[in-house]
Amino acid sequence: MKSFRGGTHIPDNKQQTANIPIEIMPVVPDYYVSLAQHIGKPAEPIVEVGQLVKEGELIAKASGFVSANIHSPVCGTIVDIGPYKNATGATTTCIHIKPTGEGTLGYYEPLNDPTAEQIVARIAEAGIVGMGGAGFPTAVKLQPKDKVDTLVINGVECEPYLNCDNRLMLEKPVELLKGIRLIAKALGVSRIYVGIEANKPQAIQTLLAQDGTAPKATEGSTDIVVVPLKTKYPQGAEKTLIYATTKRKVPAGGLPSAVGVVVCNVATAYAVYQAVTLGKPLYERVMTVSGNGIKKPQNLLVRMGTPLKDIVTFCAGLDNCDKLLMGGPMMGKTLVDLSYNLTKTDSGFLALHEDEYVSVLPTACIHCGRCVDVCPMHLEPLYIDFYIQVNDTATAVKYGALDCFECGTCAFVCPARRPLVQSVRLTKQRHREGK
Amino acid sequence: MKYKFSSSPHLRGNDTTKRIMLDVCLALLPACIAGCLLFGWKALILLAICVATSFASEIIYKLCSKVSLKKALAEFDFTSIVTGLLVGMNLYADSPWYVAVLTCVFAIVVVKMLFGGTGKNVVNPAIAGRIFAFISFGAALGGTFNSNMGFDDVYHVQGPTSVGATVHHVTATPLQYLFGATSELSNWDLLFGTGVNGTIGEVCKLALIIGGLYLVLRNVINWRWPVIYTASMVVLTVCLNKFNFDLAIPSILSGGFVLGAIFMATDYVTTPATKAGNYVYFVFLGLLTALLRHLTQSESVSFAILLGNLIVPLIDSFVINKPFGKVTAKEGK
Repeated sequence: MKSFRGGTHIPDNKQQTANIPIEIMPVVPDYYVSLAQHIGKPAEPIVEVGQLVKEGELIAKASGFVSANIHSPVCGTIVDIGPYKNATGATTTCIHIKPTGEGTLGYYEPLNDPTAEQIVARIAEAGIVGMGGAGFPTAVKLQPKDKVDTLVINGVECEPYLNCDNRLMLEKPVELLKGIRLIAKALGVSRIYVGIEANKPQAIQTLLAQDGTAPKATEGSTDIVVVPLKTKYPQGAEKTLIYATTKRKVPAGGLPSAVGVVVCNVATAYAVYQAVTLGKPLYERVMTVSGNGIKKPQNLLVRMGTPLKDIVTFCAGLDNCDKLLMGGPMMGKTLVDLSYNLTKTDSGFLALHEDEYVSVLPTACIHCGRCVDVCPMHLEPLYIDFYIQVNDTATAVKYGALDCFECGTCAFVCPARRPLVQSVRLTKQRHREGK
Repeated sequence: MKYKFSSSPHLRGNDTTKRIMLDVCLALLPACIAGCLLFGWKALILLAICVATSFASEIIYKLCSKVSLKKALAEFDFTSIVTGLLVGMNLYADSPWYVAVLTCVFAIVVVKMLFGGTGKNVVNPAIAGRIFAFISFGAALGGTFNSNMGFDDVYHVQGPTSVGATVHHVTATPLQYLFGATSELSNWDLLFGTGVNGTIGEVCKLALIIGGLYLVLRNVINWRWPVIYTASMVVLTVCLNKFNFDLAIPSILSGGFVLGAIFMATDYVTTPATKAGNYVYFVFLGLLTALLRHLTQSESVSFAILLGNLIVPLIDSFVINKPFGKVTAKEGK
């Protein structure tokens, strides 16, 4: 089975929500829609306090090339536009919307048989960003400077606990494949790989069964290859996924387009389908709510700006929970409380019990080299850690700190529980500051 | 309600330093038991002295450095037990008790703690201890300083070059094979340690190999490294002895080689961090062992490992992994 060199097997804990169908989260009393749901400049609000907005209406415009539009998640009234502090410690400008019940939809015109330019323009209009976590505006990604010949769709979902991509592949395969073909058309590529980790055999079977039936016949030459990948963390990282599916190595510090590849998440592809075929902008997404600290783990279709406390209430509340995480347990961020509003990149919320994670007290490095063996970027985390602890940033950089994408595999396997990822972050920061 | 705040990753594996070192202790047990069966109570007493002294020296050292007893005990990670067992296994069963005590104190305090404790030692404490014992207490251990050959680490070599050496251990020693003498010991004797003279832990190769397999199964050591060490040692030994392939098996099963290859050379702290570095290191060790054995006509595994340990920092600063996707100057053109 295809894979990459390095990585390790991590207990995936997906069983809690793997077989729970996506449930639609009902409308809540308040929405706080962040203007910074993507990488790049925050969007600029184009609505005023007191204004009535339709569900799906544009409420904030992309400000610059790397930015994205924001749409209203509900029919409602703008109550406030201002800074809100959230539980990750960041303060973002949010548009506070109070729903006013059912109303007309402010969707775009559905496109029939669109051209490549039309697809890209629609993706930009609909505010679609990479929904795997990075939040890079998809329209920008689909206009690469280099020549691209391959599209890789990321259905790996290697983060433990999360099932949102898995459920999407199981429940919306036809729409998903249509979305994938639209992206391929926008890029003008005919080679498409869908990488899925082998621990999701149902998703692989579903896509294989769908593939070659309806969408293929109508759209002609594009051919989708579903690639089962070895269950190994971090299989779903961009560079490891490209290597596993195409055997191409993205240069250090470079973008996938440098080797002729564009990678999109399955959730992004589904959003593209909705935007192009239905005219529906991106204002809701599937997320997994899981962990032993939540009473009713499930997969939810949630609107952007939904306060976390309402999501928790809908999942029957917290139960003996010690740690709150936005995202997966390997790369997610801890939250100090429930004051957080959902954004386009949030694939999961986890409430963990004390026995689900290891509270960590580091001991001395014993030089076992396990971090070196598992690093998917083939770095030497132990030396990055060692040199940054003695303030030698230059040597820490020499051992590859800048090429690290902080997947955390090294820290997972470290028997001395060294804070390896933190050391990498410190090195990057010191390097930026020129120290 | 207060929630824990921390940096990712939030999941960690189950392995800890303590668990790994406990595994090493368990892996050493078969050889210790075999040593006790072969040499009797005195072997068991010696091993116990070594373990107790090592444990105590580490704790006392920490107390002297103003670490509280509670913290010193909390920091206990079985590394001192591993060192104690290994030192004991590297002594002859009839070594005086004070040799055992002094060797352990030397290994723990001088070789390990003075350099910064667990993970910071430059050379393997047990290897340094073994050499310390045989240099310092040669007479007490049987007068092993030999004018013909210089220092003889473990064995009296009774081959042609060493006639007249002070003979304390009268049993035929397996290393003689390598140096041209004939011996009544079969390879099976060497494997089981029956009738073989040697230190407590090194004679029963079968027990050592069983321990090694346990470590491989528990993912503590990589099977490649002992195998590469052995292979390169055997190749050079056979070459140096005019392609006498009969020496292959005895060269592995003689002396402290199996103990060294499985348990001492693979010590994490004193091996390179990268796979490539480890290939270099273990091939180097194998060649050095064969060469030293050939030149000194005596058991040289511990010296080879000691010298190998010293070049590990050098290997680590020259053999650095190429990051994924990093283009070398040549490929960039």
